[in-house]
Amino acid sequence: MDIEVLFFGVLADVTGTGRKHYNYVTSFGDLKHRIEDEFPEIVHYSFRIAVNNEIVNEEPVLRGGDEVAYLPPFAGG
Amino acid sequence: MKSCLTQGPVRISDISNLLAKGAGYVDRGGHSLFIGQVRADVSDNKRITAIEYSVYEDLASAEIEKIKTRLFSEFTDIKNIEIIHSAGIVKAGEIAMAVMVSAGHRQQAQQACSMVVELIKERFPAWKKEIFEDGSFRWKSAE
Repeated sequence: MDIEVLFFGVLADVTGTGRKHYNYVTSFGDLKHRIEDEFPEIVHYSFRIAVNNEIVNEEPVLRGGDEVAYLPPFAGG
Repeated sequence: MKSCLTQGPVRISDISNLLAKGAGYVDRGGHSLFIGQVRADVSDNKRITAIEYSVYEDLASAEIEKIKTRLFSEFTDIKNIEIIHSAGIVKAGEIAMAVMVSAGHRQQAQQACSMVVELIKERFPAWKKEIFEDGSFRWKSAE
């Protein structure tokens, strides 16, 4: 399946992009490993995951076309 | 850009508009206004000249709605909640956030306004890049 991934805050700098498209993703675990292979430094940062604008606390089940966001700790206000 | 966001600093005219929107309602006995401003803090002997805010706009919009829903359920006297948050660069001394809560009576206006600010700090998906006078920058963690 195709998944759009967004990176915010410091993770946009770590990955050098705010947005990246992944093809043939089989699961969230597969996506996570591919991102870690491509951007090994990402494992040193803490972040939460949102899928389609909902923050998830457990490993999500992805569907084709989902938007996954990597969210470092918020610092609004 | 989502309605809760403004590009660059929150302008004085934006805040005037909030006040104008609240005026004239005869069921509102108090408005509580919080204005958040960028400080020129010094860190490692370098002064901050600006903060660049990046915001996950779609999630921000959803979180603002959740915050409002929660506040309206917890404070029965609230009549209206207005929130404006900056995206992009805000210089030191400029305004990055404005919250106005209108209620029938002052106590709930003040308590709810304080709670909205705390919930924004906790839940609003924004990230701050501190820009220093020498052009270097640092991502700021949550306070």
